[in-house]
Amino acid sequence: METSRLLLLLLPVLLIQLGLMIFAIIDLIKIPLTNGPKWMWGVIIVLVNIIGPILYFAIGRRNY
Amino acid sequence: MKQFAILMKKEWRENLRNFKLFWIPAVFILLGIMEPVTNYFLPQILDSVGNLPEGTVLEFPTPEPEQILVAVMGQYQLLGLLILALAYMGTIAGERRSGTATLLYVRPLSFPAYFMSKWMMASIIALLSVWLGFLSGYYYTYLLFGGVDLTGFAQFAATYSLWILLVISIILLASAWMPNAGLAAAFSLGMIVISQLVDSLLGTYWPISPLKLPAYAAAWLGSGPVTGDFWWSAGVTVLLIAALIGLGIFLSAKKAATTKV
Amino acid sequence: MSLLTIEGLTKSYNGVLAVDRVSFVLEEGTSTALIGPNGSGKTTTLSMIAGLLKESEGSIQRDFQSGIGFLPQYPQFFPWMSALEFTEMAAQISGVEAKKVRQQAIRTLEFVGLGSAINKKTGTFSGGMRQRLGLAQAIVHQPKLLLLDEPVSALDPTGRREIMNLLKSLQQDTTILYSTHILNDAEEMIDQVLFLKEGKLVEHGSLAEVKNRYAEPKIRMRFDTEQAAALFENRQLWQMHRHKNIIDVPLSETGPTIQQILGELANGESGIAGIDRQNVSLEEIFLKVAGVK
Repeated sequence: METSRLLLLLLPVLLIQLGLMIFAIIDLIKIPLTNGPKWMWGVIIVLVNIIGPILYFAIGRRNY
Repeated sequence: MKQFAILMKKEWRENLRNFKLFWIPAVFILLGIMEPVTNYFLPQILDSVGNLPEGTVLEFPTPEPEQILVAVMGQYQLLGLLILALAYMGTIAGERRSGTATLLYVRPLSFPAYFMSKWMMASIIALLSVWLGFLSGYYYTYLLFGGVDLTGFAQFAATYSLWILLVISIILLASAWMPNAGLAAAFSLGMIVISQLVDSLLGTYWPISPLKLPAYAAAWLGSGPVTGDFWWSAGVTVLLIAALIGLGIFLSAKKAATTKV
Repeated sequence: MSLLTIEGLTKSYNGVLAVDRVSFVLEEGTSTALIGPNGSGKTTTLSMIAGLLKESEGSIQRDFQSGIGFLPQYPQFFPWMSALEFTEMAAQISGVEAKKVRQQAIRTLEFVGLGSAINKKTGTFSGGMRQRLGLAQAIVHQPKLLLLDEPVSALDPTGRREIMNLLKSLQQDTTILYSTHILNDAEEMIDQVLFLKEGKLVEHGSLAEVKNRYAEPKIRMRFDTEQAAALFENRQLWQMHRHKNIIDVPLSETGPTIQQILGELANGESGIAGIDRQNVSLEEIFLKVAGVK
């Protein structure tokens, strides 16, 4: 398979990944309090690929 | 009915503003795409990672497209259920514990409307996620491995949807019952894992079971499940969901007194 | 006309009595203060009247149809909701007519002084704003009975005064039951007082009645210096209590009259700086009832 078609295939994956990370970072900046220190969640969101933002939304964010 | 509409609006806003409406479907889509993609590149990945002697030719049997979709479902059974449990464990227990529920409970609140609004919103997001995930998986599988019969796919996704509704009902019951979100997640996941374990050990004698729905869903991609067993299982599941909802409504009202004042 | 009749109200948790056979009546249009130290059962009593907790024993008889408004000590709001959205939802669940909801919510928020913050998210609210919003959600459906748990204790003096003024303006058409331990504020708007101690109602009645029962007027003398006060004390004329340069003399039947006291102070060397008559305050009654010396 040619490289360009390959990239096209993987583009949605990258977009979702990036989208999750951006959403998580914007939310982290705006939210007053998280479960655990904010800076830690910042590190997790940026450094832990895919799972970081998901973990933040699932358990880091104070929802109630 | 009026209160249901009011509370549904609240749940909708809440799930929109805490991004659950976006991130949960996004994760399911990601899982749906990753499965066919990693399967497709598996030979190359192994080739580049493994220190194989020069000239070794690895023969991989190319998976059938149906197998890929079943593998996506396998991911949902592990990670998908975990994410749903984490996302909705606190929907009632968390509100009570933080005290935000107090200003609702002090009013003439209809607990059926209260519970059902939460059940409905969680179900909408869960089903949206599962369908979008399966559809992306279906599309990528079609591109990389070949097509899957569309009728079989619809039956597969619909059957799995019923299972997901059962899972949501268990999670919401746990949230109504348990004193905090963490226990609710542990309880619901524990319930699902243990009953699946029991069913897989002893269930061969018992073809009618809500726990066999994922297996029956997978069967639709092949020659289809035994019709009678499938329909009986689906019927039992619907009854079980209704019972869990009833119990959840009862417990959310009974445990209202534990809200933080 | 009585609005709420409470008889033998009891709440026990695993055999421990949080509220122990409390009985009282709220007359329509009156304000009642529920006074007691921390852990005396104030919040539990209010929660039972509000319907959040089921009583273990006893009865609560509500002689009215329209609802109750309740303000917890630390009201919690959904942080992602705006003040208007929350107040509207509160009104809707309390059964306010759909077409009146918006108008009533806005009017209530303006009344409590949140008119400029109606579209702000409650997650960004300060303590004072939360208390105002708490009051708004408690009155938006125009309840007959308003229950307030320590409505001002978390606020600074200015905020306290503003909330008390709001409550006073509500007094005309609402029956109010509120718990407090800030008694100076309370005194201004009380018809009836209920003293709770360890879950029991140890004292109750109208403010005047209770004050009479504990009436112990005294004369307070302030001297120029501590020595002057000590010198006066050492004359041991009557029963007196000295604290630094201040001496209190109780005006009891066995004690001196004001004339006698003035006579003793009249000679130029007493070093007196000021003198006035002190009446018993709710604070002192509270300390007495609570058994604190």
